[in-house]
Amino acid sequence: MRNGGENRGRLLLVILIVSSLFLITLDLRGVNVLDGLRSGTQTVLSPFQRAGNVVLTPVKNFVNDITNLGRTRNQIEDLRKQNQKLREQLILRKNQDGEIEQLKSILDLAGTAGFKIVSAKVIAQGSSLAFTRTITIDAGSRNGIKKNMTVISGDGLVGVVKEVLANSAIVMLATDPAFKVGVRIAGSQQIGILAGLGSITANLQLLDNQTTIKVGDILLARGSVNAQPFVPGVPVGRVTSVSNAAGAVTQSATVKYFANFGSLGVVSVVVRAPKTDPRDALTPIKPVPTPIPTVTVFVTPSPSASPSGN
Amino acid sequence: MLLRRFGLTGTIFTFFFIIQEAVVSQLNFPAGGFSIFLILTLLWAALSTPEVAAAVGFGAGILLDLSPSTSGPLGHWTLILVLMSYAIAFFSYGDENLRGNPLSVILIVTLAQVIVLVSYLITGFLLGNSATSFAQSAITIVGSGFWTLVVTPLMLPSVAWLHDLAFDSRMRI
Repeated sequence: MRNGGENRGRLLLVILIVSSLFLITLDLRGVNVLDGLRSGTQTVLSPFQRAGNVVLTPVKNFVNDITNLGRTRNQIEDLRKQNQKLREQLILRKNQDGEIEQLKSILDLAGTAGFKIVSAKVIAQGSSLAFTRTITIDAGSRNGIKKNMTVISGDGLVGVVKEVLANSAIVMLATDPAFKVGVRIAGSQQIGILAGLGSITANLQLLDNQTTIKVGDILLARGSVNAQPFVPGVPVGRVTSVSNAAGAVTQSATVKYFANFGSLGVVSVVVRAPKTDPRDALTPIKPVPTPIPTVTVFVTPSPSASPSGN
Repeated sequence: MLLRRFGLTGTIFTFFFIIQEAVVSQLNFPAGGFSIFLILTLLWAALSTPEVAAAVGFGAGILLDLSPSTSGPLGHWTLILVLMSYAIAFFSYGDENLRGNPLSVILIVTLAQVIVLVSYLITGFLLGNSATSFAQSAITIVGSGFWTLVVTPLMLPSVAWLHDLAFDSRMRI
């Protein structure tokens, strides 16, 4: 009896393993039904993710304030003096202000380049346990968004639309390990390929072994055929270190993205590229340090004072 | 009876899946965070017979494969969770010293979580998924193990209660 039970269990295990392998095979062969299942799940989950986002926004802001305690200590001190209701209102207002600020900078960037954009709120982030970096936005095919469109923030490139549903879309972030974008260095126009590393930095591989790159160089998206998946001229990041490995065919470098992926509230999808390449028009201006005034005091000894002090 | 058991189990897993996708994933925990859905699956397997654990692992794997943030092929999580759930139940079933001790269950689930992620990463690599950097993967896996060690004791009583409710197993931890 016991032996029979074990055999039955093993048979079930084998059936389940074979079923899993069957599903993997079907998926790798590109059966459309399976893609539809994932889209269906996203459609079902979207309302829950929206609700979760609404509920969690004050919590996330609170946690964000704590993690930035050193920088926002004065602000937190002020907030402590207020009652709970005012504090909640302030946090909500702060969130809205942040979104407006992000939206304004996106519009500035898109206006300079002549991009036609659709702005959207970030309603969910993908789990990093799946070793991918994605976000879900609250705009989809009904808003004119299509697969492989460029997604930007006010700082620069954010990612590319990976999947589109009626009212939402999934965006692969530039930090995703599978993300690759052709870039050129602002000014020198040298070209290379930038690949995500799963963190806020990326790896740049130059294509020409005759060219050189230096720390501080700014990278812009080179643009794709028909501007999909990448429109040209979008700021991508800044070179933070250069690798000069002996024997390497071409130079490589580490790049820090301009976009702050930790605080994406509002992003924009470029639905139409400009007729002309903006070239280096979108290159961010380096911040100029504010000069500190030097106070010089001249002291002139009084002619009436005697050396004895009388 | 069978319908009631699996109906209740399905409802519980769907609920935890929605909570994971709508709430837990939205919170940026350091070092990759944790998945209450994975912890639930592994805990459930640790409290079940190997047959039930394999079936539950299959269902949970399908749900995880359907998650929009999953990049691997459909069936990838399913395969990993079927094998891991069966393995956990196979090694712990009948050993009351192991199952009756909450500490053992917590350690088993934590170890299983780490093995699941490593297996997912390796098989994903073999299936052609894009691989993140070694350092980033290591941080995610170690961080996930740490978070699982923290979260599992909090979830264990309620999961054991739900398991009792679904299977009338009189399991007391």
